Amino acid sequence: MPDLDALKAEAKRLLDEGVIEMVIGFKAGDTPLHPQPAFFKTSEEIDQLVYNALCQNNLATYLTRFPKTQKIGMLVRGCENRSVNALVFEGQHPRENLYLIGIPCEGIIDWRKIIEQAGEEVISVIEQSDNTVLVESKSGYFTLEKDTLLHESCARCIHPNPISADIVIGELLPEGDPALAREQVAAFANLSLQERYAWFRQEAERCIRCYACREACPMCYCEECFVDHVSPRWTESGTTPAGMQGWHIVRAFHQTGRCTSCGACERACPMDIKMTYLTEKLNEDMRQKYNFEAGMDTKTPPPFSTITLDDKSRFIV
Amino acid sequence: MNLILKKDQLNHQLNAWRQDYEVHAPQSLENYTHFLPLQDEFELALDKAHNTRIPPKALFLPTSEALLKFTRVGGYEQVPTETAPRLIFGIRPCDAHAMTMLDTVFEQERYTDPHWQARHDATLLVGLGCHEPCQTGFCTTVGSGPFNHAGLDAILTDLGEIFLVETLTEKGERLFSQLETATEEQSTQASELQQAAAASMPIAFEKEGLKEKLDQNFDSPYWEEVSRSCLGCGVCTFLCPTCFCFDIVDEAQRGERVRNWDTCMFRTYSLEASGHNPRPSRVERTRQRLSHKYTYWVDQINQIGCTGCGRCVRYCPVGLDIRAMLRKAQQLPSEVAHV
Repeated sequence: MPDLDALKAEAKRLLDEGVIEMVIGFKAGDTPLHPQPAFFKTSEEIDQLVYNALCQNNLATYLTRFPKTQKIGMLVRGCENRSVNALVFEGQHPRENLYLIGIPCEGIIDWRKIIEQAGEEVISVIEQSDNTVLVESKSGYFTLEKDTLLHESCARCIHPNPISADIVIGELLPEGDPALAREQVAAFANLSLQERYAWFRQEAERCIRCYACREACPMCYCEECFVDHVSPRWTESGTTPAGMQGWHIVRAFHQTGRCTSCGACERACPMDIKMTYLTEKLNEDMRQKYNFEAGMDTKTPPPFSTITLDDKSRFIV
Repeated sequence: MNLILKKDQLNHQLNAWRQDYEVHAPQSLENYTHFLPLQDEFELALDKAHNTRIPPKALFLPTSEALLKFTRVGGYEQVPTETAPRLIFGIRPCDAHAMTMLDTVFEQERYTDPHWQARHDATLLVGLGCHEPCQTGFCTTVGSGPFNHAGLDAILTDLGEIFLVETLTEKGERLFSQLETATEEQSTQASELQQAAAASMPIAFEKEGLKEKLDQNFDSPYWEEVSRSCLGCGVCTFLCPTCFCFDIVDEAQRGERVRNWDTCMFRTYSLEASGHNPRPSRVERTRQRLSHKYTYWVDQINQIGCTGCGRCVRYCPVGLDIRAMLRKAQQLPSEVAHV
């Protein structure tokens, strides 16, 4: 865990010295499991800043809401930093108008896993120094191993460290093992076609099309999403199998070479739908076929965003 | 009349009802509970402290349904609504209460929705009171309660080995006519438990004067403040037992006119054909969501359009809490009276 006082001190300094106009971070939530994204404009407000393993959102999703001229500070973990880089590459905010306060990330706790172990009525959650979490719920006190609570995306994270932050608060962590990410991809990819389709349907068809996954994703910033387009209509409306499958497959494909494996989509889903198995497969393909990972810098174009005159697919040029 | 349903007789009873009804009850699906029709083999999930993820409104207003079928060469036919008798067992009082509010929308004198009405008329609601109210719930604050009777044909109170059954309508009485009568002690025990459950729930916000505060602060910066972190997704409204908005779309390829759930939290909900959007940002959309529940519905039916089920609080991806938003609203200035 980074030193919260150091985080606050840096955020205050940035606001006081006028380096930035606002810090995007987290504040304590109204319920114990849900800290809230927050926007701090004065150093007095920074007193409310919190950071813990329950901060489950990718803050980069808010970046595209603000004018590009606005100087913004943001707490960034490994994935958030890479999302910001990908957004900078896509021209969504100039890097010079951003100040990234980096946090080496030990992983986000999936609140659903706390409930599984400690019961549904949680009163408080305290992270302890020995990598355990003390949970008080109506059912009593529980000391839980933090590793068992991590969201899957975090358990297999490759890049926990902010890679291009302006300042890093806390000790850098060892890089993750890409083999873990490959394992998850293999668990899906090695199945037969019928099994994969059954898996996909099982997940996609629980969808209620609330688009929490889209809104939680920093890379989903289209003014008009393809599902909202009416002429022509790209996919069926509603929760028919075709509509739900259409949404999930196209959403994933739009992330190719852009997804940073943060898992915010899955954490936002009210129906507990797994969807990172699709984007992780695409991410693995990007690594294998193009030696590319999204957001590792702000200059390298994602493979599917490049058009060159010697492109093998002649129809493009 | 108070009756006794022994827990070890419950499955037998449910199976007996299956002769006459399609019986829906909460069962586990993935990591949550869901109202599903009982099959020959079933396992109930009644002991969960809180509610099914999707409110049972979906059994009356499905996420998507075909209203009529048409062909390209002309002509159409209405899609009939299934009207097999149904029994929904284990619905929580907040969700049943919500059904009475939705009735005022779908069963108005001038406009009655035939699909809703057919399903409503064919359905019996047997409620299960909440002897351990959930933490995010605030039913008592908004005029409902963990043992509220509204909308129910009968309500069950969990007394350990048995359920105490209170029948509330004639239909409910007929449904339970085979059961033995409860003793006075059992009735007293249930009523004490019901009162204790309600008393254990803190008042989440002051309801008095809230409508006026919201009405008077329509243009307040408050709305920007409370909507700042909102993602603009549909979780709060789709999981809400009183939200009922829908969109009607012609699926031309399939030749169907369908009705899908829609929500005021979506940009496209209020987008007009001209391109103008009277609710251009999350600020106006959040104001609409709260105001509809806490002022417009009060204007229309003199009731708050929220039964305090707490789903929006529990599942908001950014932890927005309507209770905190309304507490904050109560701090807003009142309009200065003109003398």
